[in-house]
Amino acid sequence: MNSRGLWLRAGGFAAATLLIALFGAWLLFGRGRSPIQTDLLAMLPATERNPLAEVAAQRLAHANGDRVILLVANTDDDRAENAARELGHALGNDPVFASVTAELPPFDLQQLAAPYLSHRFVLLTDADRNAIEQPGYNPAQALAQHMNEPFVTGVGTRLQDDPFGWLQHWLDQQPWSRSPLVPEDNLLTAHRDGTSYVLVTATLNGSSYDDAIQQRALSAIDQAEKAIQHDQPGTRMLRTGALFYATAARAGAERDVHRVGWISTLGIGLLLLGIFRSPGPLLLAFLSTGVGIVAATTVSVLVFGQIYLLTLVFGAALLGEAVDYSIQYLSARANAGHAWEARTGLRQVRPALLLALGTSLLGYLLLGLVPFSALRQMACFAMTGMTVACLSVFWLLPALLQRPAKPISATSVRCALVLQNTVSRVASGWRGAALALFLLCLAIPGWYQLHHDDDVHLLVAPPAALAAQEAQIRDITGLGNGTQFYLVQGADEEQVLQREEALEQRLQDMVDAGRLQGWLGLAGMVPSLQRQHANQDALTPWFAEPDRMHQWLSSAGFRADDIERWVQAWPGTPLELQAWLKTPIATPFRYLWMGNGAASLVLPQGDAGSAWLQKAAAGLPGVTLVDKPASISDLFGRYRRYASVWLLAAILLIAPVFGWRYGLGDVPRVLAPPVLGIGFTLSMLGYLHQPLTLFHWMALMLVLGVGANYAVFLREGEPHVSHRPGAMYASVLLSAITALLSFGLLALSSMPALRDFGLTLLLGIGFTALLVPTSVPRRMLSS
Amino acid sequence: MGGISGDTSSLPAYKAGSALRRMAALLLFCIGTNAHAQDASTDLLHDALHQLSQHTAVRAAFTQQRQNPALTQPQNSSGQLLFVTGKGMLWQVQQPYQETLALTGNQTLRIDANGHAQTVRSERGVSQISQMLQSMLAGQLDAVLRQFNVTAEGSATQWTLHFTPKQSRVAQVLRDIQLDGGAFLQGIRIDMQDGTQTDIRMTGTRDAGALSVPEKQALGLP
Repeated sequence: MNSRGLWLRAGGFAAATLLIALFGAWLLFGRGRSPIQTDLLAMLPATERNPLAEVAAQRLAHANGDRVILLVANTDDDRAENAARELGHALGNDPVFASVTAELPPFDLQQLAAPYLSHRFVLLTDADRNAIEQPGYNPAQALAQHMNEPFVTGVGTRLQDDPFGWLQHWLDQQPWSRSPLVPEDNLLTAHRDGTSYVLVTATLNGSSYDDAIQQRALSAIDQAEKAIQHDQPGTRMLRTGALFYATAARAGAERDVHRVGWISTLGIGLLLLGIFRSPGPLLLAFLSTGVGIVAATTVSVLVFGQIYLLTLVFGAALLGEAVDYSIQYLSARANAGHAWEARTGLRQVRPALLLALGTSLLGYLLLGLVPFSALRQMACFAMTGMTVACLSVFWLLPALLQRPAKPISATSVRCALVLQNTVSRVASGWRGAALALFLLCLAIPGWYQLHHDDDVHLLVAPPAALAAQEAQIRDITGLGNGTQFYLVQGADEEQVLQREEALEQRLQDMVDAGRLQGWLGLAGMVPSLQRQHANQDALTPWFAEPDRMHQWLSSAGFRADDIERWVQAWPGTPLELQAWLKTPIATPFRYLWMGNGAASLVLPQGDAGSAWLQKAAAGLPGVTLVDKPASISDLFGRYRRYASVWLLAAILLIAPVFGWRYGLGDVPRVLAPPVLGIGFTLSMLGYLHQPLTLFHWMALMLVLGVGANYAVFLREGEPHVSHRPGAMYASVLLSAITALLSFGLLALSSMPALRDFGLTLLLGIGFTALLVPTSVPRRMLSS
Repeated sequence: MGGISGDTSSLPAYKAGSALRRMAALLLFCIGTNAHAQDASTDLLHDALHQLSQHTAVRAAFTQQRQNPALTQPQNSSGQLLFVTGKGMLWQVQQPYQETLALTGNQTLRIDANGHAQTVRSERGVSQISQMLQSMLAGQLDAVLRQFNVTAEGSATQWTLHFTPKQSRVAQVLRDIQLDGGAFLQGIRIDMQDGTQTDIRMTGTRDAGALSVPEKQALGLP
């Protein structure tokens, strides 16, 4: 191929790249909604074996996810109330919110009991039913006790409608009567330690994870906060909701990407400039990686419809591996000196690059087989990025690198040579074996201290300030956390309600024992028909002789027509779930009923441990505890185990490839640097008492990938630099340092998961790069 | 993983109703406390509260008369009460039936003949009213002034305090509460909008002296 051919091919490649870049830009920014997915939960696969549980979890997440909960606090009542009203108005005028609730609509207290009157004989509290069923139950005395009960105001039901107070007692225990928030001046208010808190809720007109919604909602809230703080001095605002967590996660990740991206770009730039002593190679190296990243992003969005934030962060780190290909080509050019010829140079590095690419692809292909969409996307991203970066070296760079270059800086080559000789001298023969044995002995205590922890809270640490605000809001308002709940299933509505009652009995025991604050479930609001019949049966004996009942009531002072009306109302009608769900009072609880099939949700309130909640569901048919954080932790644990098996499988897969290329006898030598690098890294992590997570193992996968590449580069490149000893190792070290600059910086990340990832890479690549000279037998060394 | 669930959108207007009866209880409690009435209150209010606060535990005989428009005759009951500042009250009905209720900040217990307590109502950590009660018992009048307009008349030796609800939701149900007394509280009158009227008279009020073991137990004292 002549120079014109090279240019033609480069032109074609450039044009294709441009098209892909334009397409990618359109995919990312041209379609309104950003396909960048910041919802960490969204990248997880279904965690529940029960598909309905997954649906329920999603529904609950959505019901809560698009809602913003604000608590306005001030030590002065009026200021707190005015601030809340002002906040409500300000947010209500912004179209980014679908609805804002600050002031309650006018409400007639007496109206509340009315719909329940026809069901008054089937709705009894447990205490009333137990009392009525006692052998010594005395209706006359019960009546007197109710009518003389001190400090009872008789709000809710009228005495003549409910002489014994049964319905009143039942209404008293309904969730809307038990909220810690009370309406004051039409605002929901709580008072704590001399401070008044007023609740304002808002529902977003879109998703909390939508970038545009996030920015508009957040700026509206911040602005309103400033305004109320100015108008009502001393006002504080507590906030919680998925919106704030998502925004914080996005900001954190973006900060990480920027920081890691900029520092690594700068570092790599300076390094390349120092080594190649000219800015040209630097630009080409970035060009090659850039092309890879652009193609990888485009393909990932195309295949998955969206791109996870984590993939982007991982992608920023991938820069370090993709840049290796161009570094190899650039080093070959620099080492060839005046004899450089672009096509010959390409032929010279091609086997190494193909072999390196091949092993990487093999590794990531294996990663892509894991049924975890986030890992799959990373695999897809990595495979596309690597392939395109490699292709750019084959097709684009030769045209741009036709003239010879200055040789690599002599200092760096000398340093590399000293290091290479030292390592390879120390690591050869019996001395090497003894040293290896010594290092292994040193590593064993580290391995022994290894342990793992898959708790998702360790990996996704929300900003402390947000978590504290949420805890305070939950404490003041009594709202639940929404990530732990029971799914109750049955053959029909009736069975579901009966099963709920069995569960709620146990939950109530936990409440009585002080382990749980409370629970929210439909059966507490609409008892099963079985329970309703039982209630009615308990009353039946007392209505069997209406004359007696007349007698009791009239001697208590009730009027004849009232008595007649009440006795005539017996036995009334049962309360039907479906009918109740349609009433206005059911509105806030409708989501507890799962429309499809017969199933409902029961939400525990308060901070009972997972183990206690699990225990409450144990042995109850149709009751499943859905504990999202625990499920995710489980899932991470499962994938962590997959990842460790993967690592072993990948090593076993690479071994025959190396055997084919270098001969079986040399396989241990070439595999030793990455494998020992991984071993020593694990030992170090053990010494550091870092509990292993999925992310450590993912980092070790990358260590294996780049480590094998280094061995291949050195092995393949050494014969071509016999005139410049150390030059090949210098280029490998260059690759390693660029990788450390890009991956290793993740150790600075604000996200624990990425920190783990970065630290592991830092250690792994460091060890591997140091060990890599052992992959070349001393006889082959050019010194 | 932040997220909160619950029913905030249509929180309960009904609340005010169930809150009310506790409010009435609260008032009884508050008058025995070492309260420092602020802005809205008068010197007389201060004096009255100051007098009451001299006694941390009192006993009295009570008679309660309740008139309800639904009934042709008033309901009468009588018995003994023990009030302990900061802890609660034992309400011991002797006529027309025997019953002992322990009203503490967050729940009402029925104490049977064997001293066993059974929950009649539990205000389950909830309410704000019970927190209000706690703060009152700790000597803060703010919580009551938040819910009621208070006026005082009479003299330091024979005063009457009127409490009218500030919240319209409460005012829909409760007309007013009236306390009268001198060195001790002598009467409580509660008027509801539906015409129900409760009149409690106390006689023989005296400092409680030492509490018996069952009394301490019922009030949750050590």
